[in-house]
Amino acid sequence: MMSRRQGLLLVAPLLLVLAGFFLVPVLMLLPTSFGVYEPGAGLVKGAWSLKNYTQIVTDDYYREVIWRTLGLGFSVTLICLLLGYPLAYLIARGPERWRVPLILLVIFPMLLNLVVRSFGWIALLANRGLINNLLMQLGLIAAPVKLLFNFVGLFIGLTHIYLPFMVLMLVAAIRNVPRDVESAAATLGSSRAHVFMAVTLPLSAPGILAGSILVFVLTISALVTPRMLGGPTYQVMATLIYDEYMQLLDWPSGSALSFALTFMAVAIIWLSSRLTRRWAGMA
Amino acid sequence: MRQMLRHATAAAVLGAALTSTAQAEELVVGAFGGSFADNVKACHVAAFEKATGATVSLKLGNSSQFAAALRATAGKPDMDIVYIDNSLAAQTANEKLNDKIDRAKLKNATDVIPTAWGKDDAYVVAMVSATTLVYNPKLVKATPTSWLDLADPAYAGKYAIGDISGTSGLQFLLALNKLKGGTLDNIDPGIEAIKPIAKGSAVLYTQADQLLSLFERGEIAIAPWYPDRAGVAMDKGLSLAVAYPKEGAVGILPAVVLPKGSTKTELAYKFLDQVLSAEGQGCFSERAYIGAVNTKVKLSDKLKSIVPNGESLEKAWFIDPDVIAKNSATWTRRWQREVAR
Repeated sequence: MMSRRQGLLLVAPLLLVLAGFFLVPVLMLLPTSFGVYEPGAGLVKGAWSLKNYTQIVTDDYYREVIWRTLGLGFSVTLICLLLGYPLAYLIARGPERWRVPLILLVIFPMLLNLVVRSFGWIALLANRGLINNLLMQLGLIAAPVKLLFNFVGLFIGLTHIYLPFMVLMLVAAIRNVPRDVESAAATLGSSRAHVFMAVTLPLSAPGILAGSILVFVLTISALVTPRMLGGPTYQVMATLIYDEYMQLLDWPSGSALSFALTFMAVAIIWLSSRLTRRWAGMA
Repeated sequence: MRQMLRHATAAAVLGAALTSTAQAEELVVGAFGGSFADNVKACHVAAFEKATGATVSLKLGNSSQFAAALRATAGKPDMDIVYIDNSLAAQTANEKLNDKIDRAKLKNATDVIPTAWGKDDAYVVAMVSATTLVYNPKLVKATPTSWLDLADPAYAGKYAIGDISGTSGLQFLLALNKLKGGTLDNIDPGIEAIKPIAKGSAVLYTQADQLLSLFERGEIAIAPWYPDRAGVAMDKGLSLAVAYPKEGAVGILPAVVLPKGSTKTELAYKFLDQVLSAEGQGCFSERAYIGAVNTKVKLSDKLKSIVPNGESLEKAWFIDPDVIAKNSATWTRRWQREVAR
């Protein structure tokens, strides 16, 4: 058994990097988030205010953006799970010779730059894009369907980009489910569907949890894809924070929104891991 | 032995190369991307490098990104001289991030129109452009004469306006506001008037060159845009024309600031001198279709049909950059909530 000190030594390099380049800068933002910004003049020295936080709750525009971001996070995670699980199951349990090609197929999109992939979706989803042109030429629709700069566009784009993360997490988890437990359940008279629901699925819960958390956090913090597929009008938290910082130069408000986003992410991760542990009987 | 000799030579060559690059001083210049950067290289950088032997490295970005960078690096800037819109130059001046420009250090300062100098010489306007109407003469038969022509039902769905994050978006909003009886203290009339126009816009563009493909494919016929971008696009064969509305175009004044704390002040002044020189200004005007601030520059007839000058320049509305700097955040928030939602 490893001693506590040995364990600490093993993680020390990572901890140092995280502390130096993540924790400290984030904490340095904390005072800024209580600061006061005067447009045209900059940050007011020595002034403090809670307004940056209270406006997140009171301003219905911020509330709308928050709900939209969370809604996107949940829906993208759910669809990634629904689409990813069968694929991951096939990779983990399917014929051996399919495994490598399928994994390559999953990984391949990740080799392409994010901007290129998002741009590809613009070409497909635009008013005069491939999909609308095809549908119009087939006579299925008269006017272009709006697929860009709204929920649909972001949902499609983000699902495509984060699906590989979910699949890779699930493959590892499903492969870790001991087959003899499944065989035991089958021997005791369980149907295949029941074995899957009562044994395989709960035992792959750690993978479902890890994949979901990963996809959820990546989705709610994504910047490039929402900016490209959502345009200037369909804002999510990340693009809003970017605009507060880079366009309005209101750093205090941007910092407060960043902390709100971080807080929500941490809260949801904590809650979901508790729920999953209870469901999978790990508690 | 031979092998060793070869290694030694390689090392010596490499060493010499390293020291020579270390000797040539490097000036970091913040500039806007696209054709603007190409023109900066051709008109300002080339002559400067030849005259001083120093090298220039361009850092590309937009005005608000530069303002954010100057604030983040306050006193220790990573750029020695920056092209920036005059309203954001006023903003960084208010944040005390700009060095006062010493006109005595510039040979060409006396040739520059007096109004180009910012308050307390915190920046100097380097060129003159505008937000005006650009249209495709193949699709638009009568020359547009008013901002309101954009709302003509004939162009329904065939026009695009800029998002407020870009200069043209903000300026079109303010022009419309003025037209509808609003003031800079009260933009309610403008917001009301622009709501339906924004809803019907083919796209709210955030990058100026986004309009290129829209014009090219005939998806739009008219847009509030920049004469400089239109001029460059016409050179590339696009069917476009520039019209100045009778209410007046809105002036755009890209300026130059010297960030406080730069260690290359002397070189930066030499670069600025090149930017303001008749030669540098004339070259930029010709290539970029942009008005000059140096009185010695004469515009060609082709340029006069595009660049704000004479009557179009007199009628143009130059908004106090301090007012823009103080209000743009509030206006942007209103736009996000009331117009673009």
